[in-house]
Amino acid sequence: MKQRRFRFKILALILLGMFALLAVYGGYSVNTYGNRWFSFSRNPRIRTQKQNVDAGDILDRNGVVLAWSEEGKRYYQEDESARRAIVHLLGDSQGQVSNGVEAFQTSYLYGFNLTLGERLAALGSSEPLTGDTVTLTIDSRLCTAIPTYFNAHAETAGKKGAVVVMNYKTGEVLAEISLPNFDPMNITADTLADPGQPFWNRATQSVYPPGSSFKIITTVASLKYLPGIENTPITCGGGLMVDNQAIRDYGSAIHGELSLKKAFTTSCNNAYARLALAMEDAELRRTAEDFGFNDNFLFRDLVVENSTYPTKNRSQFEIATSGFGQSAITASPVHMCMVAAAIANDGQMMEPRLLRRVDGATGVERTVFESRLYRTATTPEIAATLQGYMQAVATSGTGTRAAVPGLTIGGKTGSAESSLDGADVTYGWFVGYIADDSLPFALSVLVEDIPDGEGGGSTAARIAGDIFRYLKEHPELVTDNTVE
Amino acid sequence: MSKRKRDWGRPLARAVKAFYFSAFLLLFLRDFQWQGLALAFAVPLMVSLTTDLLPRLFPCDKLLMSLTNFLCALGVLVLYDTNPEYAYQQVINYGIGLIAMVVCIYLVRRVRQWGVLVWLMVPVSLVLLALPLVIGRETNGARNWFYVGGVSVQPSEIVKLSLLLVLSHYMSRRKMIPWLMFAVGCLGLLMLQKDLGTALMYYGTALMLYFAASGNLPLTVIGLGGGVGAAFAGYKMFAHVKRRVAIWQNPFADYDNAGYQIVQSLMAIASGGLFGLGLGLGSPKTIPVYHTDFIFAVICEQFGLIFGLCVLLMYVALIWRGATIAMSARSGFHGLLSMGCTLMLGLQTFLIIGGVIKLIPLTGVTMPFVSYGGTSLVSALCLMGLMQGVASLNEDHLQQDAELAQGWEVDE
Repeated sequence: MKQRRFRFKILALILLGMFALLAVYGGYSVNTYGNRWFSFSRNPRIRTQKQNVDAGDILDRNGVVLAWSEEGKRYYQEDESARRAIVHLLGDSQGQVSNGVEAFQTSYLYGFNLTLGERLAALGSSEPLTGDTVTLTIDSRLCTAIPTYFNAHAETAGKKGAVVVMNYKTGEVLAEISLPNFDPMNITADTLADPGQPFWNRATQSVYPPGSSFKIITTVASLKYLPGIENTPITCGGGLMVDNQAIRDYGSAIHGELSLKKAFTTSCNNAYARLALAMEDAELRRTAEDFGFNDNFLFRDLVVENSTYPTKNRSQFEIATSGFGQSAITASPVHMCMVAAAIANDGQMMEPRLLRRVDGATGVERTVFESRLYRTATTPEIAATLQGYMQAVATSGTGTRAAVPGLTIGGKTGSAESSLDGADVTYGWFVGYIADDSLPFALSVLVEDIPDGEGGGSTAARIAGDIFRYLKEHPELVTDNTVE
Repeated sequence: MSKRKRDWGRPLARAVKAFYFSAFLLLFLRDFQWQGLALAFAVPLMVSLTTDLLPRLFPCDKLLMSLTNFLCALGVLVLYDTNPEYAYQQVINYGIGLIAMVVCIYLVRRVRQWGVLVWLMVPVSLVLLALPLVIGRETNGARNWFYVGGVSVQPSEIVKLSLLLVLSHYMSRRKMIPWLMFAVGCLGLLMLQKDLGTALMYYGTALMLYFAASGNLPLTVIGLGGGVGAAFAGYKMFAHVKRRVAIWQNPFADYDNAGYQIVQSLMAIASGGLFGLGLGLGSPKTIPVYHTDFIFAVICEQFGLIFGLCVLLMYVALIWRGATIAMSARSGFHGLLSMGCTLMLGLQTFLIIGGVIKLIPLTGVTMPFVSYGGTSLVSALCLMGLMQGVASLNEDHLQQDAELAQGWEVDE
């Protein structure tokens, strides 16, 4: 009898444990995914609220009003090129763009976070209820300028692509551009039917093979797992045969004996294939995962497609080509910007942020957002070595077109190959940063379908140079009101 | 007399009455429907009848009674707010359920020999479970209903009671074959009905109760392994099980069709936030089957996550109390009966809330006491009646002990 009582107790405890699991899981998932569930475009509550509440204003970091409501209608900036430039980041009132600020910050913009006092005050007033004012971290002038940089160069004019600029110390996103874009004030049947998919946000929703820009991560892995590799010469004999497939460099170049640094600055695929084969596949994968690959991105302000580093059934050829960012490795422009930012920030990868602060329509401060570390990607020592390599890329390597007089630039180019609808396309990449504590900016530039004979260094790097020049001329962009 | 523990039942009952009086009054002030005002008095009256009047007829556990009433009335409240027609029907179910509960208490108190009754239950239950296969209709992939005179009946809810009585009866006599045959028969019929949620509940209760009765860990583990094997086989065999698992893994993959229910549920819970959108606010009716399977999502939307956790806490208190009653029962049968009811209610709650918050695949069982549905509410209240009956007997025994002790004192 006594034993049976004991067993009753055990069973009750098992049941209670199951209920504890319910409570913990429920709390955790609402805390983690709550905003994503809530702001999901199919939530009917938002539609109801939109009929009763005027959406709040959206401002950029300099106070420029990007979006506002008047008599139930939503307006965007006067200048068409300005509103086109940020349309993906901001979203549109029709909800064509997914997870723009307009959709993802619904809970603020449509006043779901009003305090009881504000609700009571609104009951007494005849004015319609207005949602919160959201201040973003972006600089709308820089955003407006970036599409013109694409058109300023013959190699990139009219190309699709994406650009992300962020502060590598705080994670504040200054610009996030996707091309082609559209006018949110004038969505026509043509826009909807456009095969170029202007609604698609290439900076956050698309993942691309990172190509040679992934060599940053291969280099970090080599420095970590292949001791003494810095001083060991690597041979590039032209074509390297792996699994009866040849790995060749651009233009079938033969680099001969190379140091790791030289292999990085000349972006030698042969050498990086050898490095990838010299390591365990798991070691390169683990390093990529240190940088956020294969993680489920759950950033507070940005919905970013996850990056992948394949995990199983890999042939030697696939492992070898992983060394230079091919073989089913994919990442978004936002994530590649974070990779460069992590190197610039001594291995500390900051969470990308879009929201600076939120205030009630009546002026009451709702929230001021703080920077958060996303993860430690690598050690300060390895980051310092990489900084040296990346700066050499901009001074004497493949990325010289990104250099700006008076600035110390670090970077890495990439030309990634992929097939799109059966046709081979080449993506031009440049990821880089300014090595200067007073201008702590990192960027990534992606240009789709670059012309034959061009690479990341002759396309994306040019645009990067233009952006670096803009940043140099606007040192006031560094001020961050959230770090106290 | 020894010092009695503080009785939480009475203050809880008062709080429950006050809560529902004000809640229904609030809804009445919103739309001035007389039904709201009627409910503002009717619900506290029902609470009063069961927590104040009933204990005068025979002893019962007031805390458990208050918790039960709170949960039942919560269902009525949420239903009244979303679809008043359901609420009126549910109040009637609630009343019938309370009467059935009293009958169950009475039966447990009076019946000394369960042998004959249990013998009768076995064939009746099996026939009941087989009926939907013959004359039932299929809904949501399962064939577990049939109609009698315009009333829909879910026999698995009724058979729950006989299952628990049969299990407790034979287990307390250490006769394994009869109850095992019966349980396997029930499970087989449930599998044929494709009602896997209920099958899981029956199976879990039987297995856990077997462990409680025998303490035979090796056999329990074998039983557990068999269950896992059967679940895997079910996954392989039934297309609708596979579909449910796929929806559970990523409901957003097909949010307009297959994942629609769970996506709507998650959005509702997320919209409620910590403190809820408020009674009468939000869009709970956009959640499919908001009145039965997803009623917990409606509660979370309107009252918030913290209130939702409090509701969980109510079930936890209910489970703890049920186990306590089982532990102080004087006979093996009564102990197992109370424990069995506790396990059944606990597992059912876990299955449905876990499904609604996407912890486990949705199994489509009802939320005990709260969900809309006549058979389900009456059956849950009958389970409560069985538990209360055991509690009542325990109380009698305690009093007899005390009288006996007094008698000794007089003798000295």
